[in-house]
Amino acid sequence: MKHAMLLDNACKNYEEDLVLYYYGENNGAERRRVEQHLSTCHGCKSFVDDLNRVLPPMAEQQKMPQAFWDNYYRETVAKLEEQNERKNWWRTWLTPVRGWMVPAFGTVAGTVLVVGLLFGKGDLSSFVERPSRKVPQEIIADSNQLEFFRTMDMLESLDKLEQQDGTKSELQNTHSSRVRLYKGVA
Amino acid sequence: MKTRIALALVFGLFLPLLAEQAIGADDNWRNLSPREKDRVQRNYQRWKGLPPQDKEHLREEWNRYQRLPREQQDRLKQRYNDQRRDRRED
Repeated sequence: MKHAMLLDNACKNYEEDLVLYYYGENNGAERRRVEQHLSTCHGCKSFVDDLNRVLPPMAEQQKMPQAFWDNYYRETVAKLEEQNERKNWWRTWLTPVRGWMVPAFGTVAGTVLVVGLLFGKGDLSSFVERPSRKVPQEIIADSNQLEFFRTMDMLESLDKLEQQDGTKSELQNTHSSRVRLYKGVA
Repeated sequence: MKTRIALALVFGLFLPLLAEQAIGADDNWRNLSPREKDRVQRNYQRWKGLPPQDKEHLREEWNRYQRLPREQQDRLKQRYNDQRRDRRED
């Protein structure tokens, strides 16, 4: 209230210059002009006097003991750490995923896709198709075993087939010898 | 961090190889026609029910067949397929 009265007492067109004068921020000519005005204007002089009286205690820095600053630093660091932990809990959880699983899974997925497209020749059904459960994996994976079961029907009649083959061979041999004999005679 | 990078490299290099090997093991099977697959399944089921001496006999026949010259193997196979086709047509 008193402060407002002081402002009212100062000349309106000098108010700004008086504040700059107080802080020593106006140049020489300005400063001389203000000093000249102050020597004649009681209201403006009172204004500057009050500024001198009121402002220094307001601007004065409160000196805190060293212990306060030590505590302040510790508390600030602790609070920042707590906030960081709260914000990044999922990052800690996902760190292994970010580290090596992403490239590994990416590579595997890419390889499976490429192999599927290459070997399946674009026909994904043949890639997805798994061997029947009726035949164990160890037989399917072993080409020798697979061939055995593929030709099992034939193996059961192998003797007969060989006999037929032998008979045919004999017939062929007989025919050939007759032809040779005929040619030789001719 | 270095360990993780090393693990990533190991997985990145070896997992594709393992995956390829695992997929490649089924290639023999996948290359068979549906009819051949059916035949393998039927023969396997039949094989499981055979008495041991028949199994042994079939194994011996298989080993004997394996020792035959390639030409004779093909001839026998061809003969067998012809006879089977003839039987089916009859």
